[in-house]
Amino acid sequence: MAHAVISCLHANLAALEAVLADIDQLGIATITCLGDLVGYGPQPNEVVDRVRERAIPCCQGCWDEDIIEGLNSCECSYPSQLAERRGHLAHQWTAEQLSETNKAFLASLPMTLRRDRLLFVHGSPNSQHEYLLPDMDAFAALERVHTADADTLFCGHTHRPYVRELRDGVIRVRVQTPTDPQSPPEREMALPMRRIINAGSVGEPRHGNTHATYVVHDEATGSVEIREVPYDVEHTCRAIVEAGLPPVFAWRLRQGFEYAERADDASHVCER
Amino acid sequence: MSQTVLVSGPPGCGKTHWILKQIQSHSGPCGYLRLAGYSVNGLSQARDGELDLTWLQDQCPRLLDLADPDQAQATRSPDFLALIELPQFHPPLEAGLAGVDIRVMPRLRALHLAPDRHLHFGRDPELPPQDTLDFSQLQAWSLHLHRTVWDPASLSSFWFELVNGAYGDVYRAKALMNLPDGRGFFCNWMVSREGSEFLPLQGIARPYGRPDRLSRLVVQGKDLDPAAIEATVADCLLSDAVLELQQAPLRERHNPSPRSA
Repeated sequence: MAHAVISCLHANLAALEAVLADIDQLGIATITCLGDLVGYGPQPNEVVDRVRERAIPCCQGCWDEDIIEGLNSCECSYPSQLAERRGHLAHQWTAEQLSETNKAFLASLPMTLRRDRLLFVHGSPNSQHEYLLPDMDAFAALERVHTADADTLFCGHTHRPYVRELRDGVIRVRVQTPTDPQSPPEREMALPMRRIINAGSVGEPRHGNTHATYVVHDEATGSVEIREVPYDVEHTCRAIVEAGLPPVFAWRLRQGFEYAERADDASHVCER
Repeated sequence: MSQTVLVSGPPGCGKTHWILKQIQSHSGPCGYLRLAGYSVNGLSQARDGELDLTWLQDQCPRLLDLADPDQAQATRSPDFLALIELPQFHPPLEAGLAGVDIRVMPRLRALHLAPDRHLHFGRDPELPPQDTLDFSQLQAWSLHLHRTVWDPASLSSFWFELVNGAYGDVYRAKALMNLPDGRGFFCNWMVSREGSEFLPLQGIARPYGRPDRLSRLVVQGKDLDPAAIEATVADCLLSDAVLELQQAPLRERHNPSPRSA
Protein backbone atom coordinates (compact mmCIF):
# COMPACT_ATOMS: atom_id res chain seq x y z
CA MET A 1 0.00 0.00 0.00
CA ALA A 2 1.36 3.42 -0.93
CA HIS A 3 1.46 6.11 1.67
CA ALA A 4 2.65 9.72 1.60
CA VAL A 5 5.02 11.39 4.02
CA ILE A 6 5.15 15.17 4.32
CA SER A 7 7.34 17.38 6.49
CA CYS A 8 8.33 20.94 7.32
CA LEU A 9 5.15 22.74 6.28
CA HIS A 10 6.30 26.00 7.89
CA ALA A 11 2.96 27.78 7.79
CA ASN A 12 2.86 27.82 4.00
CA LEU A 13 -0.78 27.12 3.13
CA ALA A 14 -0.48 27.37 -0.65
CA ALA A 15 2.30 24.76 -0.64
CA LEU A 16 0.35 22.45 1.66
CA GLU A 17 -2.81 22.72 -0.47
CA ALA A 18 -0.83 21.87 -3.60
CA VAL A 19 0.80 18.84 -1.98
CA LEU A 20 -2.48 17.53 -0.56
CA ALA A 21 -4.09 17.93 -3.98
CA ASP A 22 -1.23 15.96 -5.52
CA ILE A 23 -1.61 13.19 -2.93
CA ASP A 24 -5.37 13.07 -3.48
CA GLN A 25 -4.88 12.89 -7.21
CA LEU A 26 -2.64 9.83 -6.69
CA GLY A 27 -5.44 8.19 -4.70
CA ILE A 28 -3.31 7.89 -1.56
CA ALA A 29 -5.31 7.78 1.65
CA THR A 30 -2.56 7.45 4.27
CA ILE A 31 -0.52 10.53 5.03
CA THR A 32 2.00 11.02 7.79
CA CYS A 33 3.45 14.40 8.75
CA LEU A 34 6.91 14.77 10.30
CA GLY A 35 6.31 18.09 12.00
CA ASP A 36 7.33 21.74 11.77
CA LEU A 37 3.83 22.77 10.87
CA VAL A 38 4.66 26.34 11.79
CA GLY A 39 7.59 28.76 11.81
CA TYR A 40 8.64 31.62 9.50
CA GLY A 41 5.62 31.26 7.20
CA PRO A 42 2.56 33.53 7.23
CA GLN A 43 -0.35 31.11 7.86
CA PRO A 44 0.33 29.08 11.01
CA ASN A 45 -3.33 28.70 12.08
CA GLU A 46 -4.56 27.88 8.59
CA VAL A 47 -1.94 25.16 8.16
CA VAL A 48 -2.57 23.57 11.56
CA ASP A 49 -6.32 23.75 10.93
CA ARG A 50 -5.92 21.96 7.60
CA VAL A 51 -3.79 19.20 9.10
CA ARG A 52 -6.33 18.73 11.88
CA GLU A 53 -9.27 18.72 9.44
CA ARG A 54 -7.59 15.99 7.43
CA ALA A 55 -6.73 14.10 10.62
CA ILE A 56 -3.16 13.62 9.44
CA PRO A 57 -1.03 11.84 12.06
CA CYS A 58 1.90 14.12 12.97
CA CYS A 59 5.00 13.96 15.07
CA GLN A 60 6.38 17.08 16.67
CA GLY A 61 8.99 19.19 14.93
CA CYS A 62 11.52 21.51 16.52
CA TRP A 63 9.46 24.58 15.71
CA ASP A 64 6.29 22.98 17.07
CA GLU A 65 8.12 22.22 20.29
CA ASP A 66 9.68 25.66 20.63
CA ILE A 67 6.39 27.45 20.04
CA ILE A 68 4.86 25.53 22.94
CA GLU A 69 7.74 25.45 25.36
CA GLY A 70 9.25 28.82 24.59
CA LEU A 71 12.30 29.58 22.54
CA ASN A 72 14.78 27.30 24.16
CA SER A 73 16.96 26.07 21.37
CA CYS A 74 20.53 26.76 22.29
CA GLU A 75 22.22 29.61 20.46
CA CYS A 76 24.45 27.32 18.44
CA SER A 77 21.41 26.17 16.49
CA TYR A 78 21.78 29.34 14.46
CA PRO A 79 24.65 29.80 12.02
CA SER A 80 24.80 33.56 12.46
CA GLN A 81 23.59 36.44 14.58
CA LEU A 82 21.40 37.50 11.66
CA ALA A 83 19.76 34.08 11.43
CA GLU A 84 19.22 34.08 15.16
CA ARG A 85 17.54 37.50 15.17
CA ARG A 86 15.29 36.45 12.30
CA GLY A 87 14.47 33.17 14.00
CA HIS A 88 13.51 34.94 17.21
CA LEU A 89 11.37 37.42 15.31
CA ALA A 90 9.56 34.63 13.47
CA HIS A 91 9.12 32.74 16.72
CA GLN A 92 7.57 35.71 18.48
CA TRP A 93 5.24 36.47 15.57
CA THR A 94 4.10 32.87 15.27
CA ALA A 95 3.53 32.53 19.00
CA GLU A 96 1.34 35.63 18.94
CA GLN A 97 -0.68 34.42 15.97
CA LEU A 98 -1.36 30.82 16.97
CA SER A 99 -4.69 30.12 18.65
CA GLU A 100 -4.69 28.38 22.01
CA THR A 101 -6.45 25.43 20.41
CA ASN A 102 -3.72 25.04 17.84
CA LYS A 103 -0.99 25.45 20.43
CA ALA A 104 -2.62 22.66 22.42
CA PHE A 105 -2.67 20.53 19.30
CA LEU A 106 1.05 21.09 18.68
CA ALA A 107 1.76 20.35 22.34
CA SER A 108 -0.05 17.03 22.02
CA LEU A 109 2.09 15.76 19.15
CA PRO A 110 4.34 12.79 19.89
CA MET A 111 8.09 12.80 19.24
CA THR A 112 7.83 9.72 17.05
CA LEU A 113 5.25 7.68 15.22
CA ARG A 114 5.67 4.01 14.46
CA ARG A 115 3.92 1.71 12.02
CA ASP A 116 5.31 -1.81 12.14
CA ARG A 117 8.99 -1.45 11.14
CA LEU A 118 8.54 2.10 9.87
CA LEU A 119 9.56 4.92 12.20
CA PHE A 120 8.57 8.53 11.63
CA VAL A 121 10.51 11.39 13.28
CA HIS A 122 11.19 15.04 12.58
CA GLY A 123 14.98 15.24 12.98
CA SER A 124 16.27 11.93 14.30
CA PRO A 125 15.10 9.37 16.84
CA ASN A 126 17.30 11.22 19.35
CA SER A 127 16.01 14.74 18.92
CA GLN A 128 13.80 16.99 16.82
CA HIS A 129 16.86 19.23 16.46
CA GLU A 130 19.33 16.72 15.06
CA TYR A 131 19.95 16.79 11.32
CA LEU A 132 20.37 13.47 9.55
CA LEU A 133 22.23 14.77 6.52
CA PRO A 134 22.58 12.55 3.45
CA ASP A 135 26.36 12.47 3.81
CA MET A 136 26.59 11.91 7.54
CA ASP A 137 28.85 9.11 8.72
CA ALA A 138 27.29 5.83 7.59
CA PHE A 139 27.88 4.07 10.87
CA ALA A 140 26.25 6.90 12.82
CA ALA A 141 23.31 6.90 10.42
CA LEU A 142 22.95 3.14 10.74
CA GLU A 143 23.09 3.44 14.51
CA ARG A 144 20.18 5.92 14.49
CA VAL A 145 17.95 3.52 12.59
CA HIS A 146 19.08 0.29 14.22
CA THR A 147 18.82 1.44 17.82
CA ALA A 148 15.36 2.82 17.11
CA ASP A 149 14.37 -0.73 16.17
CA ALA A 150 13.25 0.25 12.69
CA ASP A 151 13.93 -0.92 9.17
CA THR A 152 13.01 2.36 7.55
CA LEU A 153 13.35 5.75 9.19
CA PHE A 154 11.38 8.68 7.78
CA CYS A 155 12.74 12.11 8.72
CA GLY A 156 12.63 15.75 7.65
CA HIS A 157 14.29 18.82 9.19
CA THR A 158 17.02 19.22 6.53
CA HIS A 159 14.54 20.42 3.88
CA ARG A 160 16.42 18.34 1.33
CA PRO A 161 14.73 15.10 0.30
CA TYR A 162 16.82 11.98 -0.11
CA VAL A 163 16.73 8.21 0.12
CA ARG A 164 19.74 6.55 1.72
CA GLU A 165 20.26 2.81 1.84
CA LEU A 166 22.62 1.52 4.50
CA ARG A 167 23.74 -1.94 3.51
CA ASP A 168 26.62 -4.30 4.17
CA GLY A 169 27.00 -3.06 7.71
CA VAL A 170 29.41 -5.32 9.54
CA ILE A 171 30.82 -4.93 13.03
CA ARG A 172 33.76 -7.16 13.88
CA VAL A 173 35.01 -7.28 17.46
CA ARG A 174 38.11 -9.02 18.77
CA VAL A 175 38.53 -9.01 22.50
CA GLN A 176 41.87 -9.78 24.09
CA THR A 177 41.42 -12.11 27.06
CA PRO A 178 43.96 -13.21 29.66
CA THR A 179 42.93 -16.85 29.29
CA ASP A 180 43.72 -17.05 25.61
CA PRO A 181 46.03 -14.16 24.64
CA GLN A 182 47.29 -15.81 21.44
CA SER A 183 43.95 -16.20 19.68
CA PRO A 184 41.38 -13.81 21.04
CA PRO A 185 37.82 -14.71 20.13
CA GLU A 186 36.36 -12.73 17.28
CA ARG A 187 32.73 -11.90 16.88
CA GLU A 188 31.10 -10.52 13.76
CA MET A 189 27.68 -8.95 13.48
CA ALA A 190 26.10 -8.32 10.10
CA LEU A 191 23.46 -5.64 10.16
CA PRO A 192 20.52 -5.92 7.79
CA MET A 193 19.88 -3.21 5.24
CA ARG A 194 18.29 -0.10 6.67
CA ARG A 195 16.88 2.95 4.96
CA ILE A 196 16.60 6.61 5.80
CA ILE A 197 14.04 8.50 3.77
CA ASN A 198 13.99 12.26 4.07
CA ALA A 199 10.73 13.84 2.95
CA GLY A 200 12.21 17.27 2.18
CA SER A 201 10.00 20.27 2.86
CA VAL A 202 6.51 21.27 1.81
CA GLY A 203 6.67 24.89 2.88
CA GLU A 204 10.33 25.88 2.82
CA PRO A 205 12.19 23.92 0.13
CA ARG A 206 15.94 23.98 0.02
CA HIS A 207 16.73 21.49 -2.69
CA GLY A 208 17.47 23.85 -5.53
CA ASN A 209 14.11 25.19 -6.62
CA THR A 210 10.88 26.46 -5.11
CA HIS A 211 8.75 23.34 -5.58
CA ALA A 212 7.27 21.71 -2.50
CA THR A 213 8.61 18.20 -1.93
CA TYR A 214 7.30 15.08 -0.21
CA VAL A 215 7.71 11.31 -0.65
CA VAL A 216 5.47 8.42 -1.61
CA HIS A 217 6.52 5.06 -0.21
CA ASP A 218 5.06 1.70 -1.19
CA GLU A 219 5.28 -0.69 1.72
CA ALA A 220 4.73 -3.74 -0.48
CA THR A 221 7.42 -3.05 -3.05
CA GLY A 222 9.66 -0.79 -0.99
CA SER A 223 9.73 1.80 -3.79
CA VAL A 224 10.17 5.44 -2.89
CA GLU A 225 9.28 8.39 -5.07
CA ILE A 226 10.38 11.91 -4.23
CA ARG A 227 7.71 14.17 -5.62
CA GLU A 228 8.12 17.86 -6.46
CA VAL A 229 4.98 19.94 -6.58
CA PRO A 230 4.87 23.46 -7.98
CA TYR A 231 2.65 25.87 -6.10
CA ASP A 232 1.78 29.56 -6.07
CA VAL A 233 4.93 30.85 -4.41
CA GLU A 234 3.98 34.46 -5.06
CA HIS A 235 0.75 33.99 -3.12
CA THR A 236 2.76 32.99 -0.05
CA CYS A 237 5.27 35.79 -0.63
CA ARG A 238 2.46 38.34 -0.67
CA ALA A 239 1.04 36.83 2.51
CA ILE A 240 4.44 37.16 4.19
CA VAL A 241 4.61 40.87 3.44
CA GLU A 242 0.94 41.47 4.32
CA ALA A 243 1.44 39.69 7.63
CA GLY A 244 4.19 42.13 8.52
CA LEU A 245 6.96 39.56 8.46
CA PRO A 246 10.30 40.75 7.03
CA PRO A 247 10.09 41.10 3.23
CA VAL A 248 13.44 39.34 2.99
CA PHE A 249 11.60 36.15 4.03
CA ALA A 250 9.53 36.47 0.85
CA TRP A 251 12.65 37.09 -1.20
CA ARG A 252 14.39 34.03 0.21
CA LEU A 253 11.33 31.80 -0.36
CA ARG A 254 11.04 33.10 -3.94
CA GLN A 255 14.68 32.16 -4.59
CA GLY A 256 14.32 28.67 -3.11
CA PHE A 257 16.44 29.52 -0.06
CA GLU A 258 15.53 28.72 3.49
CA TYR A 259 14.39 31.62 5.64
CA ALA A 260 17.49 31.11 7.74
CA GLU A 261 20.54 29.06 6.94
CA ARG A 262 21.15 25.72 8.55
CA ALA A 263 23.46 25.57 11.54
CA ASP A 264 27.17 25.23 10.79
CA ASP A 265 27.41 22.11 12.87
CA ALA A 266 24.38 20.34 11.51
CA SER A 267 24.94 17.27 13.61
CA HIS A 268 24.74 19.32 16.78
CA VAL A 269 22.06 18.23 19.21
CA CYS A 270 20.81 20.79 21.66
CA GLU A 271 21.35 19.53 25.19
CA ARG A 272 18.60 20.83 27.38
CA MET B 1 59.78 63.67 -14.63
CA SER B 2 56.64 63.73 -12.55
CA GLN B 3 53.40 62.75 -14.15
CA THR B 4 49.74 63.44 -13.36
CA VAL B 5 47.15 61.11 -14.87
CA LEU B 6 43.39 61.58 -14.65
CA VAL B 7 41.43 58.33 -15.03
CA SER B 8 37.68 58.40 -15.56
CA GLY B 9 34.99 55.81 -16.17
CA PRO B 10 31.60 54.54 -15.01
CA PRO B 11 30.97 52.72 -11.70
CA GLY B 12 32.67 49.37 -11.37
CA CYS B 13 34.78 49.63 -14.53
CA GLY B 14 37.97 49.04 -12.57
CA LYS B 15 39.41 52.52 -12.07
CA THR B 16 40.65 51.93 -8.53
CA HIS B 17 41.98 48.48 -9.39
CA TRP B 18 43.93 49.90 -12.33
CA ILE B 19 45.26 52.73 -10.19
CA LEU B 20 46.41 50.23 -7.55
CA LYS B 21 48.36 48.34 -10.20
CA GLN B 22 50.04 51.56 -11.39
CA ILE B 23 51.02 52.49 -7.84
CA GLN B 24 52.37 49.03 -7.10
CA SER B 25 54.46 48.99 -10.27
CA HIS B 26 55.83 52.53 -9.85
CA SER B 27 59.14 52.76 -8.04
CA GLY B 28 58.82 56.39 -7.03
CA PRO B 29 56.42 58.24 -4.75
CA CYS B 30 52.72 58.26 -5.62
CA GLY B 31 49.70 60.35 -4.75
CA TYR B 32 45.99 59.74 -5.19
CA LEU B 33 42.94 61.91 -5.44
CA ARG B 34 39.35 60.80 -5.90
CA LEU B 35 37.13 63.49 -7.31
CA ALA B 36 33.38 63.48 -6.76
CA GLY B 37 31.71 62.71 -10.05
CA TYR B 38 28.61 64.38 -11.38
CA SER B 39 25.16 62.84 -11.55
CA VAL B 40 23.46 63.01 -14.93
CA ASN B 41 19.95 62.20 -16.17
CA GLY B 42 18.88 59.80 -13.45
CA LEU B 43 22.37 58.39 -12.96
CA SER B 44 23.48 59.13 -9.41
CA GLN B 45 27.09 59.14 -8.31
CA ALA B 46 27.93 57.27 -5.14
CA ARG B 47 29.35 59.07 -2.12
CA ASP B 48 32.59 57.18 -1.70
CA GLY B 49 33.50 58.77 1.62
CA GLU B 50 37.22 58.04 1.11
CA LEU B 51 36.60 54.31 0.87
CA ASP B 52 38.87 53.92 -2.17
CA LEU B 53 41.59 56.07 -0.62
CA THR B 54 41.51 53.98 2.56
CA TRP B 55 41.78 50.77 0.55
CA LEU B 56 44.66 52.08 -1.56
CA GLN B 57 46.55 53.44 1.46
CA ASP B 58 46.16 50.09 3.19
CA GLN B 59 47.69 48.38 0.18
CA CYS B 60 50.31 51.09 -0.37
CA PRO B 61 51.00 52.74 3.00
CA ARG B 62 53.24 55.46 1.54
CA LEU B 63 50.56 56.65 -0.85
CA LEU B 64 49.95 60.38 -0.42
CA ASP B 65 46.48 61.84 -0.17
CA LEU B 66 46.38 64.62 -2.71
CA ALA B 67 43.17 66.00 -1.23
CA ASP B 68 45.35 67.21 1.62
CA PRO B 69 46.94 70.47 0.35
CA ASP B 70 50.03 69.94 2.50
CA GLN B 71 50.66 66.51 1.02
CA ALA B 72 49.81 67.74 -2.46
CA GLN B 73 52.35 70.55 -2.19
CA ALA B 74 55.13 68.37 -0.85
CA THR B 75 55.13 65.93 -3.67
CA ARG B 76 57.04 67.37 -6.53
CA SER B 77 59.92 64.95 -6.80
CA PRO B 78 60.92 64.19 -10.39
CA ASP B 79 59.56 60.67 -10.38
CA PHE B 80 56.31 61.51 -8.63
CA LEU B 81 53.17 59.86 -10.05
CA ALA B 82 49.83 61.53 -9.28
CA LEU B 83 46.73 59.52 -10.07
CA ILE B 84 43.36 61.21 -10.10
CA GLU B 85 40.16 59.16 -10.22
CA LEU B 86 36.97 60.63 -11.62
CA PRO B 87 33.68 58.68 -11.74
CA GLN B 88 32.07 59.59 -15.05
CA PHE B 89 29.17 57.80 -16.68
CA HIS B 90 29.56 58.88 -20.30
CA PRO B 91 32.66 59.03 -22.49
CA PRO B 92 34.25 62.46 -22.98
CA LEU B 93 33.21 64.30 -26.11
CA GLU B 94 36.78 65.14 -27.02
CA ALA B 95 39.99 63.16 -26.99
CA GLY B 96 42.91 63.70 -24.65
CA LEU B 97 43.05 66.49 -22.11
CA ALA B 98 40.43 68.45 -24.00
CA GLY B 99 37.90 65.85 -22.86
CA VAL B 100 38.37 66.48 -19.16
CA ASP B 101 35.12 67.63 -17.56
CA ILE B 102 35.70 71.35 -17.05
CA ARG B 103 33.75 71.29 -13.80
CA VAL B 104 36.61 69.50 -12.06
CA MET B 105 39.24 72.05 -13.10
CA PRO B 106 38.73 74.55 -10.23
CA ARG B 107 39.18 71.73 -7.74
CA LEU B 108 42.36 70.57 -9.45
CA ARG B 109 43.73 74.11 -9.65
CA ALA B 110 43.08 74.60 -5.93
CA LEU B 111 45.25 71.56 -5.27
CA HIS B 112 47.86 72.67 -7.83
CA LEU B 113 47.22 69.58 -9.91
CA ALA B 114 47.35 69.74 -13.68
CA PRO B 115 46.77 66.44 -15.52
CA ASP B 116 49.30 65.53 -18.19
CA ARG B 117 47.09 62.76 -19.52
CA HIS B 118 43.42 61.81 -19.42
CA LEU B 119 42.37 58.19 -19.83
CA HIS B 120 38.77 57.03 -19.96
CA PHE B 121 37.58 53.43 -19.60
CA GLY B 122 35.91 52.23 -22.78
CA ARG B 123 37.73 54.81 -24.89
CA ASP B 124 41.44 54.42 -24.37
CA PRO B 125 43.01 51.06 -25.30
CA GLU B 126 45.72 51.55 -22.70
CA LEU B 127 43.09 50.68 -20.10
CA PRO B 128 41.57 47.20 -19.69
CA PRO B 129 38.38 46.52 -21.69
CA GLN B 130 35.30 47.93 -20.04
CA ASP B 131 32.78 45.29 -19.06
CA THR B 132 30.25 47.43 -17.23
CA LEU B 133 26.63 47.57 -18.26
CA ASP B 134 25.19 50.57 -20.03
CA PHE B 135 23.22 52.11 -17.20
CA SER B 136 20.12 54.12 -17.96
CA GLN B 137 19.10 54.70 -14.36
CA LEU B 138 21.17 54.42 -11.24
CA GLN B 139 20.40 55.21 -7.64
CA ALA B 140 23.24 55.64 -5.16
CA TRP B 141 23.17 55.02 -1.45
CA SER B 142 25.81 54.69 1.22
CA LEU B 143 25.98 53.84 4.88
CA HIS B 144 28.51 55.12 7.36
CA LEU B 145 29.74 52.18 9.45
CA HIS B 146 32.52 53.77 11.45
CA ARG B 147 33.46 51.73 14.56
CA THR B 148 31.08 48.92 13.70
CA VAL B 149 32.13 45.27 13.80
CA TRP B 150 30.33 42.49 11.95
CA ASP B 151 29.41 39.01 12.97
CA PRO B 152 31.37 37.23 10.19
CA ALA B 153 28.69 34.70 9.29
CA SER B 154 26.06 37.43 9.23
CA LEU B 155 28.22 39.55 6.93
CA SER B 156 28.41 36.62 4.53
CA SER B 157 24.61 36.21 4.55
CA PHE B 158 23.97 39.93 4.21
CA TRP B 159 26.38 40.37 1.32
CA PHE B 160 24.86 37.38 -0.47
CA GLU B 161 21.38 38.85 -0.10
CA LEU B 162 22.54 42.35 -1.08
CA VAL B 163 24.23 41.44 -4.35
CA ASN B 164 21.54 38.92 -5.30
CA GLY B 165 18.70 41.40 -5.20
CA ALA B 166 17.04 41.05 -1.80
CA TYR B 167 17.09 44.83 -1.31
CA GLY B 168 16.63 46.01 -4.89
CA ASP B 169 18.57 45.59 -8.12
CA VAL B 170 22.13 46.24 -7.01
CA TYR B 171 24.54 46.94 -9.86
CA ARG B 172 27.54 47.87 -7.79
CA ALA B 173 28.46 47.38 -4.16
CA LYS B 174 31.68 48.02 -2.31
CA ALA B 175 32.49 48.26 1.35
CA LEU B 176 35.14 48.22 4.02
CA MET B 177 33.99 46.01 6.89
CA ASN B 178 35.55 45.15 10.26
CA LEU B 179 35.59 41.69 11.83
CA PRO B 180 35.97 41.00 15.56
CA ASP B 181 39.46 39.52 15.24
CA GLY B 182 40.79 42.84 13.94
CA ARG B 183 40.78 41.99 10.28
CA GLY B 184 39.13 44.26 7.78
CA PHE B 185 37.90 43.39 4.30
CA PHE B 186 37.36 45.34 1.13
CA CYS B 187 34.19 43.79 -0.29
CA ASN B 188 33.69 44.44 -3.98
CA TRP B 189 30.94 43.40 -6.37
CA MET B 190 29.86 44.42 -9.84
CA VAL B 191 26.83 43.04 -11.66
CA SER B 192 28.74 42.37 -14.86
CA ARG B 193 31.36 40.24 -13.13
CA GLU B 194 31.07 36.83 -11.60
CA GLY B 195 31.31 36.60 -7.84
CA SER B 196 32.38 39.02 -5.15
CA GLU B 197 35.87 39.95 -4.06
CA PHE B 198 36.66 39.88 -0.35
CA LEU B 199 40.13 41.36 -0.12
CA PRO B 200 41.79 41.46 3.30
CA LEU B 201 43.28 44.71 4.49
CA GLN B 202 46.96 44.54 5.36
CA GLY B 203 46.40 46.60 8.47
CA ILE B 204 45.04 44.42 11.25
CA ALA B 205 43.60 46.11 14.30
CA ARG B 206 44.40 44.74 17.73
CA PRO B 207 41.46 43.01 19.39
CA TYR B 208 40.73 45.80 21.84
CA GLY B 209 37.27 47.04 21.02
CA ARG B 210 36.19 48.77 17.87
CA PRO B 211 38.69 49.68 15.14
CA ASP B 212 38.95 53.35 14.30
CA ARG B 213 39.58 52.96 10.57
CA LEU B 214 37.06 53.99 7.96
CA SER B 215 34.18 51.59 7.43
CA ARG B 216 31.50 52.23 4.87
CA LEU B 217 29.06 50.55 2.51
CA VAL B 218 28.41 52.05 -0.93
CA VAL B 219 25.64 50.71 -3.15
CA GLN B 220 24.45 51.70 -6.60
CA GLY B 221 21.42 50.20 -8.29
CA LYS B 222 17.73 50.54 -8.92
CA ASP B 223 14.70 50.36 -6.61
CA LEU B 224 16.98 50.11 -3.60
CA ASP B 225 15.39 49.65 -0.19
CA PRO B 226 17.71 51.51 2.20
CA ALA B 227 15.48 50.95 5.23
CA ALA B 228 15.57 47.19 4.73
CA ILE B 229 19.33 47.24 4.19
CA GLU B 230 19.85 49.22 7.38
CA ALA B 231 17.55 46.90 9.33
CA THR B 232 19.51 43.86 8.21
CA VAL B 233 22.85 45.55 8.86
CA ALA B 234 21.70 46.36 12.40
CA ASP B 235 21.00 42.65 12.96
CA CYS B 236 24.52 41.78 11.78
CA LEU B 237 26.58 44.17 13.91
CA LEU B 238 28.03 43.06 17.21
CA SER B 239 27.14 44.70 20.49
CA ASP B 240 29.92 45.76 22.87
CA ALA B 241 29.22 42.75 25.08
CA VAL B 242 29.36 40.20 22.26
CA LEU B 243 32.44 41.86 20.78
CA GLU B 244 34.22 41.64 24.11
CA LEU B 245 33.18 38.01 24.41
CA GLN B 246 34.83 37.27 21.08
CA GLN B 247 37.92 39.41 21.54
CA ALA B 248 38.87 38.35 25.08
CA PRO B 249 40.15 34.90 24.04
CA LEU B 250 42.09 36.47 21.17
CA ARG B 251 43.88 38.80 23.57
CA GLU B 252 44.73 35.88 25.81
CA ARG B 253 46.10 33.93 22.89
CA HIS B 254 48.02 36.63 21.05
CA ASN B 255 49.18 39.22 23.48
CA PRO B 256 48.70 39.30 27.22
CA SER B 257 50.37 42.74 27.38
CA PRO B 258 48.57 45.82 28.77
CA ARG B 259 45.90 47.48 26.75
CA SER B 260 46.92 49.91 24.05
CA ALA B 261 45.04 51.77 21.35
